[in-house]
Order: sequence, then C-alpha cells, then structure tokens
Amino acid sequence: MQLRIYRFNPDTDAQPRMQDYDITPEAGDKKLLDVLIRLKSVDDSLSFRRSCREGICGSDAMNINGRNGLACLQSLDELKQPVVLRPLPGFPVIRDLIVDMTLFFAHYHSIKPYLINPESPPERERLQTPEQRERLNGLYECILCACCSAFCPSFWWNPDKFIGPAGLLQAYRFIADSRDTATAERLDYLDDVYRLYRCRTIMNCTEVCPKGLSPSHAIEQIRLALLKQSS
Amino acid sequence: MVRLFSGQRAWVAQRFTAVMLLAAVLAGLMWLLLGEPLDYTRWYALLTTPVGAVLTVLIFVMLAVHGWVGARDIVLDYVQPRGLRLALLGAILLVLAATLIRVVLVLATHGAT
Amino acid sequence: MRTPSSAPVKFLNLWQIRFPIGAIASIAHRVSGVLLLIALPLLASVLARSLQSPAEFDALRAAATSASGTLILALATWALAHHVLAGIRHLLMDVGIGSGLAQARRSARAALIAAPIIALYILVRGLW
Repeated sequence: MQLRIYRFNPDTDAQPRMQDYDITPEAGDKKLLDVLIRLKSVDDSLSFRRSCREGICGSDAMNINGRNGLACLQSLDELKQPVVLRPLPGFPVIRDLIVDMTLFFAHYHSIKPYLINPESPPERERLQTPEQRERLNGLYECILCACCSAFCPSFWWNPDKFIGPAGLLQAYRFIADSRDTATAERLDYLDDVYRLYRCRTIMNCTEVCPKGLSPSHAIEQIRLALLKQSS
Repeated sequence: MVRLFSGQRAWVAQRFTAVMLLAAVLAGLMWLLLGEPLDYTRWYALLTTPVGAVLTVLIFVMLAVHGWVGARDIVLDYVQPRGLRLALLGAILLVLAATLIRVVLVLATHGAT
Repeated sequence: MRTPSSAPVKFLNLWQIRFPIGAIASIAHRVSGVLLLIALPLLASVLARSLQSPAEFDALRAAATSASGTLILALATWALAHHVLAGIRHLLMDVGIGSGLAQARRSARAALIAAPIIALYILVRGLW
C-alpha cells in the first residue's frame, strides 16, 4: 500500500515535506489507523494522535486524500492510492499530522458548553418529555474531532473570531435543551458578524462530519431562533 | 464603519434585498421576453415615468445594499490588515454611493424635461 | 530549525483539498457576485447613455453585439444567472427547504449546470 504523508518536525525542518511509504497491510488491518500504527512500528518518528481507535475520542482527525476524516473510521478498501495524508487544514502544525487545537477549544469554551439553570435543582434529575429529549439528537453526539471546522473556508479565514461549525453545533445543543434557561443570553452572544454570521452555508462541515451530524442545520436553526427573538 | 451593518441586521438586509431583487429580475425578464421588441421609445417611456424612475432608483438602492453586504463579507474574509481593510471598504462604499447619485441625477434630468 | 517568532506552519493549499460540489457552487456564487458588483457602475453609465438619444441607444446596442460586447455580456449573464439561482437555493435553505445534504448537493449541481445554459439561451435569443 502506497502512502504519501506530510512530515514536519519544528526542531529540524524549516518547511514541511511529503514522505512516501510503502507498506503491506496484514490480515487484521481494516482501517487507515491500523496501517498508520503499523507504519509507526517501522518509522517511530512519524507522529499522529490516536486513542480509542473507534470514532469516539476524536483524536485522529486528519486530511485524507483531500477530505477531512477520522483515520480509525476510514476503511482501507475505499481509499485511492497513494493515500495522501496531511494535517487538518488551517490549523497550526505542531508536528507531522498533529495540529494545535487551542483556538478550536477556546471557541468551544466560549459558548459555555454546560447547562445553565439558576433554579434550585430538583430532588432527582431535571425531567424532559420524549419530544424535548428528541431535539438533542444529532447534537449531543459531537466528539469535537474538528473535522468540520478544519474543512470550513470561513473558519480558515477567521479562525480567531468565527466560532466555527463545531462550536456552533455545540452552542445549539444548549440552546435547544429544555433544561437550559440561558437561551436569550446564548443567542445574544452569537449575534455577531464574526461569531455566527461568517457562515455562508457552504456545508463543507456536514459533508465531512464522521459522525454524520449536520452543523449547517444547527447554524440554520440558530439563525432562525435569532430571527424569532428579534421580531 | 465595520459595524455599519453588523450581525443579524446585515444578514436580514441581504436576504430582504435578495427577495426584492429576485422579483425585479423576474419582472425585467418578463418585460423583455413577452413585450414588444426593445427600442428607444419603449425604453425611455419605461424609465422616465414617475413610477418607472422611482422603481429604477429603488432597484439601484437594493443593488447597492445587497452589494455592500456581500462585498463587506468578502473583505472581512480575505483582507486581514486593518488599514487595507478600511481603505477597501471605504472605496467600495464611495463607488456605490457615486453610482446611486448618478442614477438619481440621470433619472431626475430626464424626468424633468 | 524554526524560531518561536516565525509564523506557524499550516497546511492550507486549496489545490490539494477536495472540495464538495456545494463549495464549488458557493465560490461561484462569490465570484459571480464580485462580477456583478463591478458591473454595477457600468450599468449606471449604460443607463445614462441609453436615455440620451435614439442614436446613443442604437450605438449601445451595436456595442452589445460586437465581439468584446458579446464577451462581456456573456460573462455578465452567466454571473447574473448563477447568482440568482444560487441565491434562490440559499434563500430556500435558510428556511429549511432543501438544506439536507443530499438535496443541497443536487441543487448545487443544478445551479452550476443551469446557469451557463440560461446565459447561452439569453445570448442566442438576444433580448436587447
């Protein structure tokens, strides 16, 4: 199997370079991550993040043949060779396929990703009707892998000011939650040329989400909620 | 000036003018497709009646607002240095304003004669 | 070796990224918008000249059918057609119509294909 992988070591390299690899997958290798781990046993200087290897932790997001995805969910038999691997577009590269996610998580924290409810909590949990719970489907499953934000042109141009699809999906997850009482404040925070309205509905986010979620739909709902709030 | 049309206001203005301009484009297309062949008399009559002149100016106002929101988005995306950004936005605003003034003056002179 | 002060290394070579059809329709929407914005002051001056006299009106019409005039008009009609079609697509998607991925892909492709056809039709039929 042929691979071309983006290599960059900040201690020794002035510029990144592409390195070719040829490796024979073994019987148990089903996903791209399996091959990467095998490669690492041959060339231990190759750096990438991985943890759960089953699409839950979100650490092995990378650009695979021009599109963002999780190496652990990418089947080998669907890949055109040479398989070209690069770090997530637009993110500062720390080393090889590892990128700096500081800004990404700063945006995530800025939308207050937790329930806000000043009322004293009931004896047991805050109840929701099945309908209220249903509204969180397609929102709570986000694993913050950054595939979407790193595929969003608006995020490439303004990574410090635009919250990006991942952060906005999370924002809507709390706006849509019946147990959260801060909806108005959350919407006020988002009503900004940069934070929300950099989105041009390109839908690259929804195209690449490895969990099949739709950040573009969440953004659409936020805009409509803002419209309702101001009318 | 960057906040001239901020957040939701710009988004709503862009959508509102889009719908109005869509109606204008369709009406214009119908006029060209279904009416008599275009000639000077018909063209002049359309634009210089009070209703025609006011509608034309309104369409140009919508075009300018719609164009401003779109152009500003492009500048905010691709032009990061603050000085260059303000200069570009200023230049766009100036050209749009000059275009509007020109259309008003042209239609006013023809409407008056 | 890199010094800490140098700009961070990023991968962002747009030619090495595989863009979905929606992104192509979107950048075409932006490009067509810029073309229309450039055309706006020109449109105002065409308007001014066309009202001056029947002779000026006919001169403009002759210019429109010249080689360079046809090229400019072809570009302008494509820009208008694409911007209107992609614009309708976005207006509908804003209110949740066709904003699912499969439908959005289809409407993006439809706008990209239909715009040049409409532009060609308008040019060949000659509305002016």
